[in-house]
Formats: sequence, structure tokens, C-alpha cells
Amino acid sequence: MTEIVSYALQIILIVIAFAVVVHKRNFTIIILIATFGLVAASLYIMNKAPDVAIAEVAIGSAIIPLIYVISISRQREFIVLDRAQDGFIEYGHELSGEGYEILAEFVKLYDLSLNICVDIQGKEKSLINELNVDLIIARDLQTGAYILYGKSSSVLLSKLTTMVKDKPNIRVVKIKEDKRND
Amino acid sequence: MIRRVSLVVMLVIIFGFFVFSILDLEAFFSTFGKDYFFENGLSETGSVNLVTGIYLDYRLFDSLFEAGLLIAAVSGVTWISQHEITEKNATFMLDRQSTPTLFVTFSRLVYPFMLMFGIYVILFGHVSPGGGFQGGAIVATAILILYYIDVQKATSIDKILTIEKILFLTIIGVGSISFFTKGTFFTNPFDLSASEQVKAIYLITLNALIGIKVALGLVAIFTAFLKEGR
Repeated sequence: MTEIVSYALQIILIVIAFAVVVHKRNFTIIILIATFGLVAASLYIMNKAPDVAIAEVAIGSAIIPLIYVISISRQREFIVLDRAQDGFIEYGHELSGEGYEILAEFVKLYDLSLNICVDIQGKEKSLINELNVDLIIARDLQTGAYILYGKSSSVLLSKLTTMVKDKPNIRVVKIKEDKRND
Repeated sequence: MIRRVSLVVMLVIIFGFFVFSILDLEAFFSTFGKDYFFENGLSETGSVNLVTGIYLDYRLFDSLFEAGLLIAAVSGVTWISQHEITEKNATFMLDRQSTPTLFVTFSRLVYPFMLMFGIYVILFGHVSPGGGFQGGAIVATAILILYYIDVQKATSIDKILTIEKILFLTIIGVGSISFFTKGTFFTNPFDLSASEQVKAIYLITLNALIGIKVALGLVAIFTAFLKEGR
């Protein structure tokens, strides 16, 4: 009986390994990797190696899928840093406000997910160069206009510029990126 | 096309070498090590779990290099992901507006049990399956769940790295105590005739140190990943 189960698990392992290579959707692949870890751990237990099995479960099907989930969800995120915080984006139970509507429409156009954060310090230039912040919202104190800072190399930004062209209180500023050696 | 064909040919040749090299495996197969550990393991190391006995006593030198490897990996990751910008933390792990409440509540429910299980695996590493590395990984997973529960949680990678370095030196120090009692490095400092409970003091201490070190290291790598992706 134990032998049959062990053979079945080994076949499942090979099938999962093929599925990981062949499959197209990223999040399904992560689930498959986690399953691979669990099946491998049960095989370790059957071969009387419980120590290795515990390590495999903890690393292979908990920490590594978590890291993959974060790295992949980062790819489809549009990160906005709100420096103005005065009603351009309203932080209520649900987000609202003039700026939020523009950004939500913009993000929907490209099928990205919006991530708005408020609590990073630093200069605009270094923020955009060193971190992957896509857009920084700031307010010009003299004219009261909102300024959206973004990377000059970003293709998305020119689309945003045309979107806000007929709004006089918003303008888009492109920051040139430094050339990096890495 | 030529590339692929040459790749397949190379793989076949390597497979042939592999089969050729394991043909006479039986000739040098011996159970000497297994028998030795089975007969003398418990009396020499005081560890019911022979795996723990091997990696904390017979092969502690290897374990030290393993711990050093982890600290080198953590240092490398932090060095790559360093930048001058001060930020409170990774408050962006999940979209704050769209994290399911059920998920957060369930994490709160599971968190203490995961932490307790991890600590159990660390402290009982010498009598049951587990040990410092496994328990440390479980504790790290439990701590990572905190990011879902409390998105405002602040973590300082530099402090974690400092604690980890100190712990690494402490592990080497605890391993070297035996030099003063027995005259050899990296073994159990207590006398061979001492009881199992006395010998267990050394095993539990080292397991706990390794467990904390591994947990901190994994948390540091994970936090660095969070900040880097931003």
C-alpha cells in the first residue's frame, strides 16, 4: 500500500514539474510550486526523513511562494506617492477625489493595479531613480496647481499628459533618469 | 537548431557518464557510518534525534559554515538593495484598500499557533524531528504574517543584520567552549559520562541560537525584497 502511494506521489511530482514549465499564468505557477513542495515533503516523510520534510514545507511551500507573489504582483502595479495630501485624493472608507478619478481611469486603461502610498521621504529625483515609484503628486505652493512627477522614459506618462491636457490645475513634469551602470 | 542538437548530445553524454559512474556503486557501499552513529550516537552526543547529534556535535564545523553562508547571503541582499531614502516601511505589501478582511482575521488567528510551533520545533530539536534551521524557518513565516496583520509595522534591516552577526559570533563561541573543557574544538563541552539532560543543555542552547539567527536572516531577506520592489 505504502509503495503504491509513494509511486503515485512520484508521478504527481513529475506532472507538477512539467506543469510549472508549461503553464502560462504566473499565479497558477506559484500555487503549483507550493504543491510541489508539499508533495516532496510527503515523499520525504515516507522515506523516513522528517527533518528534511519540515524544512521543505517551511521553505518550499511557504516562504518561496510568498516571495514570488510579491515580485510578480509588483510587475503589474502603478505606484503613486501622494505628497500633497489635501483632497486631491480623499482617504475615506473608499478612495475618491479628483486625482483618484483620473488615476483610476488611467490605470484601468492599462489593466494595472493602483498602489497609493504617503509615507516615504526623500527628493523627487532620487525617489524616481532609486525606487520604482511611478508617479509623485506634489502641490505648487504659489499657483496652487498639482504637479505630477514621473520618469521621462516611461511610455505611460505621455498618455497621462494627454489625459490631463484640458485640466488647468494639473501639469505633468518629466524627470530625466540618471544613466546607471548596472 | 545546431545549438539545440548539440545541447541534447551533451546531455546524453553527461547522462552516460552518470550511469557509468554508478554502475559499481555496490562495490564501495558500506554501512559503517550508519552503524557507528546508531550505536554510539546517543551516548556520545546525548541527542535522541541523531540528525541533531550529527550537525551539532560530529559535524558542527559544517553547520558553522552553513550559518556563515546564510549571513553572507543576507549581507549581499541588503547591500544590493540599499538606498539613501528613509521610509517607514513596506506598507504596500498588499493594496491597503483591497486586503480581504477574512484573510487578515485568519492570519491573526493562526499567528500565535505558528509562533508556538516554531519555538517547539527549535527547543525540542534534540528529541523530535526538527531543529534550529527548520524551527527558524517556521518562526520567520509566522513573523512574515505580521506584515498582513499590521501594515504599519516598521523593520530595520540594519539592526537585524547587527543582531545576526553577534549571534553568529556567539554560536562560534559556544561551540568553542569545549576547547577549555575537553581540549578539542566544536563538540559537546560536557563530559561523556554526563547524563542526557546535562548534555541537552548544550544542544538546546545551540539550537535556539541557530533558530533565532535563521529566523532573523529570512525576515531580513524578505523585507529587503519588499523594499526593493518598490
